[in-house]
Amino acid sequence: MIHIVTPANEFRYREEMEQVWRLRHEVFVKEKGWIDLDRPDGREIDRFDTPHAIHFLAIEAGRVIGYSRLLPTTRPHLLSDVMPQLCEGERPSGHDTWEWTRQAVARSHRARGKAVNPVSLALLTGIVEWGMAHGVRQLVLQMPTLYLLHVVQLHFRARPLGLPQAISGEDIIATTAEFDERTLARLRAVRRDAAPVLAPSYTYIAA
Amino acid sequence: MTRKSLDQTLSFLRSLDRTASADDVARLLVTELADLGVTHVMAGTVPTRGTPSRQQNAHVFLNTFPTDWGRRYLARGYAFKDPTVRRLSTHQGPFAWGETRATCRDDPEGQRVMDEAADFRLRDGITIPLVTLDGEVAGFSVSGEHLGFDPAERPTLQLIATYAFGHLLRLRGSDKAERAKLAPREREALQWAAEGKTDWEIGEVMGISTHGVDFHLRSARSKLGTTNRTQAVAIALRRGLII
Repeated sequence: MIHIVTPANEFRYREEMEQVWRLRHEVFVKEKGWIDLDRPDGREIDRFDTPHAIHFLAIEAGRVIGYSRLLPTTRPHLLSDVMPQLCEGERPSGHDTWEWTRQAVARSHRARGKAVNPVSLALLTGIVEWGMAHGVRQLVLQMPTLYLLHVVQLHFRARPLGLPQAISGEDIIATTAEFDERTLARLRAVRRDAAPVLAPSYTYIAA
Repeated sequence: MTRKSLDQTLSFLRSLDRTASADDVARLLVTELADLGVTHVMAGTVPTRGTPSRQQNAHVFLNTFPTDWGRRYLARGYAFKDPTVRRLSTHQGPFAWGETRATCRDDPEGQRVMDEAADFRLRDGITIPLVTLDGEVAGFSVSGEHLGFDPAERPTLQLIATYAFGHLLRLRGSDKAERAKLAPREREALQWAAEGKTDWEIGEVMGISTHGVDFHLRSARSKLGTTNRTQAVAIALRRGLII
């Protein structure tokens, strides 16, 4: 199940969010070597983890096995503040456009041989489910050009925002990725599971 | 050779979106890349060693190689000897065929494939390694007698090849509903709907009754498998049926 964590419900996910910071440290600092993000406490938290960020957690038996973050493009985000060179024209911004970053899967849950593992697909399905329910139309992505194929294969409509640029040894491209019910159907077909992945929200029941 | 600009590349990708068959994709690529010396394109997934030649065809998505060369390539199992194919499994970024020369020194069979390709005026090439969603290794090659690519243009070529490959996979996997063809009047009505015009306004510009407009839009919706106008416009735009 994919759980969405925002300021409205984070009091119920304190322990899980601690796991998130550690998973992010493990994946981005230790594995990918993004040492700029290193912090002495081993929790990878950056300046974009504000109350405006939306956290997507893949949780299995109380353990966070995957994570993604969405940032509103109406506020500072990576494309606007960290990698503006990837966008040559007008930067997409609006309430229907969110930036997808910090995609991470615990090493124990990465399938071998398959290019895209089930946890990543579940997270992306959760993002699209959430987006469809909240009037979100497209994501902004920064990724190695190679991954564009998967985005297209998943029936997102990808539009490059600039030509690929070398960033720490990899050719990175920024694109928008528009989605609709066809994308969701495709994700569910690829996952071989038509059921929603988002955990039901009990906020209102509790209130 | 100047680096292809973003606008040029984007309009190229949009043209790719509108192609309806692998042949169209091949034609478009060869036309657009002709000034860089590209005369042939080839795209496909890598067959596992020992796949019979008849089944190897299913791995080829796109191929404009001279017929004689294509036939010989299959008959002699060159897919398993071709150094550019071998390199797909070991390298991530685009590479020029010349870069395989070093490995060919200890590989007479591989060298022979490259030499014979040169006999068919396929002396120079760039291959873009790809990995599909299922984890299948794939490749996209552009080739010719002499290519004029600047190394700085490779990332852009990688972008184009990756996008084109995704489109090819979509074309192969798309069902009949996705390939729905709109009649000229349906397309015209939907095009005006996309511009935000009401049924009455569309009727005025098309010189037909509001009832007639409703008829054409209804028919377009049913072909596109949608229930409302907004969705029909979105799908038709995405498939390049309207602009």
